[in-house]
Amino acid sequence: MKSFMYTITDPVGIHARPAGLLVKAAKAFAGTEITVTKGEKSAKATQLMKLMGLGIKGGDQITVTAQGPDEEAAAAAMEAFFKENL
Amino acid sequence: MDYRKCAQEIFRHVGGRENLVSAAHCATRLRLVIADNGKLDMKALEDIDGVKGVFSNAGQLQLILGTGTVNKVYDEFLAVSGMTAATKEEVKAAAAARQPLPKRMVKALGDVFVPILPAIVASGLIMGLLEGLCKAFPALADSGTYTIFHLFSNAAFVFLPILVAVSAARVFGGNIFLGAVIGMIMIHTDLVNAWSVADYVANGTAIPSADVWFGLYDINLTGYQGHVIPVIIAVWIMCQIEKRLHKIVPEMLDLFVTPLVTVCVTGYLTLTIFGPVFSTVENWVLAGVQMLITIPFGIGAAIMGAIYPLTVVCGVHHMYNVIEAGMLSSVGLNTWMPIASAANFAQGAACLAVALRTRDRKTKALALPSAMSAALGITEPAIFGVNLRLVKPLVAGMIGGAAGSVVGAMFHIGATAYGVTGLFGFLTTTDYMIPYAIELAVSFAVAFAVSWFLHREAPQKEKGEQSAPQEQPALTCRPGVVYCPIEGAVIPLEEIPDATFAAGILGNGCGIQPAVGRVVAPFDGEITSVADSKHAIGMVSPDGMELLIHVGINTVEMEGEGFTLHCAEGDQVKAGQTLLEFDLDLIKKRGYPTTTAVLLANSEDLGTLTASTGAHAALEPILTVNACAQAN
Repeated sequence: MKSFMYTITDPVGIHARPAGLLVKAAKAFAGTEITVTKGEKSAKATQLMKLMGLGIKGGDQITVTAQGPDEEAAAAAMEAFFKENL
Repeated sequence: MDYRKCAQEIFRHVGGRENLVSAAHCATRLRLVIADNGKLDMKALEDIDGVKGVFSNAGQLQLILGTGTVNKVYDEFLAVSGMTAATKEEVKAAAAARQPLPKRMVKALGDVFVPILPAIVASGLIMGLLEGLCKAFPALADSGTYTIFHLFSNAAFVFLPILVAVSAARVFGGNIFLGAVIGMIMIHTDLVNAWSVADYVANGTAIPSADVWFGLYDINLTGYQGHVIPVIIAVWIMCQIEKRLHKIVPEMLDLFVTPLVTVCVTGYLTLTIFGPVFSTVENWVLAGVQMLITIPFGIGAAIMGAIYPLTVVCGVHHMYNVIEAGMLSSVGLNTWMPIASAANFAQGAACLAVALRTRDRKTKALALPSAMSAALGITEPAIFGVNLRLVKPLVAGMIGGAAGSVVGAMFHIGATAYGVTGLFGFLTTTDYMIPYAIELAVSFAVAFAVSWFLHREAPQKEKGEQSAPQEQPALTCRPGVVYCPIEGAVIPLEEIPDATFAAGILGNGCGIQPAVGRVVAPFDGEITSVADSKHAIGMVSPDGMELLIHVGINTVEMEGEGFTLHCAEGDQVKAGQTLLEFDLDLIKKRGYPTTTAVLLANSEDLGTLTASTGAHAALEPILTVNACAQAN
């Protein structure tokens, strides 16, 4: 399992558009389960609704984990995604 | 109280099963669609124990029974009458179906025509200006500039059936690309151009024909350039065929069978049935009007000036060039043109009166350029976009047209060419400048005045809706169906003005241009997420549809201002329940598009969707998951 922490810099956080892009990015790693956790709540990165339900805002610290055959690449891709978009 | 007895008595006093079309209920009322209101015993209905009130409205009979009671009486009523449960919109649709047919047809015509008006208005104005300049400066006609701008001016008219077909397919819920194909078939270059038929007749050349229905009869291979009505009818038929096929053809074969059969059947019916019918009607009209205008003392001209716009609506005005060409070659003067000009100018004037009087911003924005275009001789926007829908301006225009035509006939105005009417008509009536000016002034004044005085604005709709008690309609949700969450115009996903939504990254679905600022639950289900900025709501249905309703584009930046939530995460909601209210004007003022995305986030798992585009009231079905629809 690979994981990393990230602090959201975009003030509006994970709203519809970035959530959609995140789902798209996460779906590229089909066999690997990617999870986004904020506090006690977590959601799979492929579930748009759950992801938006986390209510992640600017300044929130989240944990992203990847588990599966592609976890190295997936975690790296996710980290790059968050840095670029959020 | 005895629900069964109550239901039985209602059943007895509404005239029995054969007088019932459908039944549904909302939170307090039993809503019935009745075949014959004459068979109702209203007095007896009011006296039934448990019935608190009875009234008939919009084709529905409504019995007030009260919360908690109505659903039980309803269940008994179904058992007593042997009816099946109807959803509220089925009741509404049945009631709408009882509106007079002409009214429904005129509405459909407007719905089809309004979205394509920008194209027509642009072309109309370019065409009017260009033709006018050409008449003023004949040398221009030989220049390359003219050739190029001429292309711009008539492209929309040459291919009008395609535009109409696409728009009609959207309104009638068919595939817009199949609709386009039907439109293309109707103006295929292998068919003789409808505008050239007059030349064929004049030259005595035979129009190519083909035998159809295994040699039963021959049809002329003429196209439908400039036609509106035949195209709409053809596409309507296409949509009926297509929708039926989607239901009965197994999904595996759907892509092979449905489009193929739809195009073949519709295309063949169109060319073999409409073709002959329309060319016959056109010939009748031609013979009729030629007789009409020989009636002396301006009477014939007056009648013709009045009915001219009707022939435009029916699309049988293409043959008039034959009359005009005939007049020019026999007596050298075109006395038909003043009639057409008066009729066209009057429609523009009637439309202008609407533009100046209406308080509805949308109508105003539509009517003003349409009136201008009509003044230059292109009347389609004014007739189809405004006058025909409101009916009264059309009549006002007809009266004005008749008045102007009489003036034209009195002064024996004649033009030296054909093809231009309205203001540019001055260029072809140089010998009759003043009479022609009087004619236009008379048509304008009469049409404008009549339209002005006949204009009645319906009381502001929103007020009426707000004062009405907010009902929580009991809608029987079908699995796999998303009901319209906001009253407004449903547009295809690809037309949402935002790349992320339009590309389907957040899921497949549709957009809505909201007419009101209220979101209701599009099905029974659970609220799974509510954005802190209140502009987006996530829902899940019991059968697993994950739906995102996202109000406006980039409205996250408004940080909740102008949005009022009526639900919270984890709420169980019923279809029709108000979830969110928002300030439409504020969103516009802040410069954000109000287009609302309605997306199935898990559409990849759900399979293909069918969206029903066009204007929708809240709670009409708009999205259907095809797999679910077939399972039912």
